[in-house]
Amino acid sequence: MNEEEQLIRYWEQLRRGDKQALFELYNHTYFHLVRFGLKVTANDELVKDCVTQLFFQLWEKHARLNAVTQVRAYLFTSLRRMLLDKLDRDSKTDAAINRLSAKEEHEELPYEEIIIRVQHDEELRQKLYKAMEQLTPKQKELIRLMFFEGLNYEQVAAQTSQSIKTAYNTIYNAIQVLRKILK
Amino acid sequence: MDIQNYTVEDFICDNSFQHYCLGDDAEAVQYWTNWIRNNPHKQELIQEARRVISILNAKQGNLQEQVGQLKDGIDRFDMLKQALQQDTPAPVRSVRSRFKYVAAIAASILVLVVAGYFLLRPGKTTQQPEQVVTTTTSHKHPVLSSGNEPRKTVVLPDGTVVTLRSNSSITLADNFNTSNRELNLTGEAFFDVTHDKQRPFIVHTNAINIEVLGTVFNVRAYPSNPHTETALFRGKVAVTVKDHPGKPVILTPNMKLVFTHTGGASTTTTANPVRIEPMTVDPSDHKAKEIAWVRNRLKIEDEPLSAIAAKLQTWYGIEISFADEKVKTYRYSGTFESETIIKALEALQLSYPFNFQVEKEKIIISQ
Repeated sequence: MNEEEQLIRYWEQLRRGDKQALFELYNHTYFHLVRFGLKVTANDELVKDCVTQLFFQLWEKHARLNAVTQVRAYLFTSLRRMLLDKLDRDSKTDAAINRLSAKEEHEELPYEEIIIRVQHDEELRQKLYKAMEQLTPKQKELIRLMFFEGLNYEQVAAQTSQSIKTAYNTIYNAIQVLRKILK
Repeated sequence: MDIQNYTVEDFICDNSFQHYCLGDDAEAVQYWTNWIRNNPHKQELIQEARRVISILNAKQGNLQEQVGQLKDGIDRFDMLKQALQQDTPAPVRSVRSRFKYVAAIAASILVLVVAGYFLLRPGKTTQQPEQVVTTTTSHKHPVLSSGNEPRKTVVLPDGTVVTLRSNSSITLADNFNTSNRELNLTGEAFFDVTHDKQRPFIVHTNAINIEVLGTVFNVRAYPSNPHTETALFRGKVAVTVKDHPGKPVILTPNMKLVFTHTGGASTTTTANPVRIEPMTVDPSDHKAKEIAWVRNRLKIEDEPLSAIAAKLQTWYGIEISFADEKVKTYRYSGTFESETIIKALEALQLSYPFNFQVEKEKIIISQ
């Protein structure tokens, strides 16, 4: 059974009122949803809250849920709608900031912008900005794949067409550079 | 490379350590939790590595903590929903119910009763207190009493779970569970009653009788207190006042009935001895104050079931033992809140399944 089929099975169990299936669904999609959400708005608290709320709503209306063929796509769409609704509501008070964070409908925030924006401490933001500037594009790409997208060395190596050893060394060196500045 | 020689960079670059930080791999979590516990001198390195990983993943959070919050919210929601549902049958929880007995309890009734008034009745004053103590062994009616323990939980032969507050006791009627389900209460108790349409569950206090029609309730009936309170959480109970026979009062969820003994001949008093009022809600957490004494909030951070069981045992006042060693080592994290020990164990089962069996004054946990 592939991942999507597994999710559909949980979905069907959830519709029948199986609470455990809801938690399984959550476990299998949480990080995908959080990453997706962070690309919409670099507000980690809001994103995490919305993910939890999304599943809470699924439980609330589980008996009325329809069958779906693409669980992940359904969850992504629901999360995006929820985030944009919230941002829209807030935008009345703070339009300028939200134009920066929500951007255009389909535009994703770049990785560096996300990790800097989720920090509240101005000094740390500055350091992080400086630290990322020190990295080569290749190093940045590998750091993003491993730490943000959650890939392991094997997957990073495959995706960037290089050996695991090279991938490891590239990331290790990048971390050394970052640590010197972030200390 | 030996982990003992790890630098901060080594920790950061270790895939397994990354998963420990994210809380999305049970094996990694277990491994690193143990390693960190056994290497307290590495605390600073670990903290720094965690900080950098969290920066680089844009604070995506820890899966175990997040799922704990969701569970918490859903449990609260379900409890509220049950409290609001009047007399509708309790939802069939996890269809493949792990235990017949537990399933019976799930479709149950919860009532809190506090019995007052007893000592105030002329003529009975002298014999009452001693009787409770002495009847325990000599009398043929079985008496269950909490003594000085803050709470004592017992499981009655019909599967009903009763938590007694300190200095409270119940006396089962003859043939309890064979021909009837009646008992007497002195003090305060929280009842989670097994549903059985054929044999109604009746709580007698000196002032009132409470007939359970399908419910969750708390009764306050202290001999030294002129008020007898019955607070209802789910389902329906019928309350009859002994000195005022007539139509029973049907109580609906989240309401309580307060009966005040007016003292013998005072039938002319204008004040109504029977009042029905909403339960008192604590504004800080929107929960009924009436059952704060029995509600247990359990915060667990990666603890073995053996340690959790010890906490539950102390809180609810019932012995918990293990049928095998392996189940003792199951580890759990999360925050659980529950009125009865059964509900607490069911909440834990949701994270990682195990079985349990309830006996009169004992709960046995197995794989």
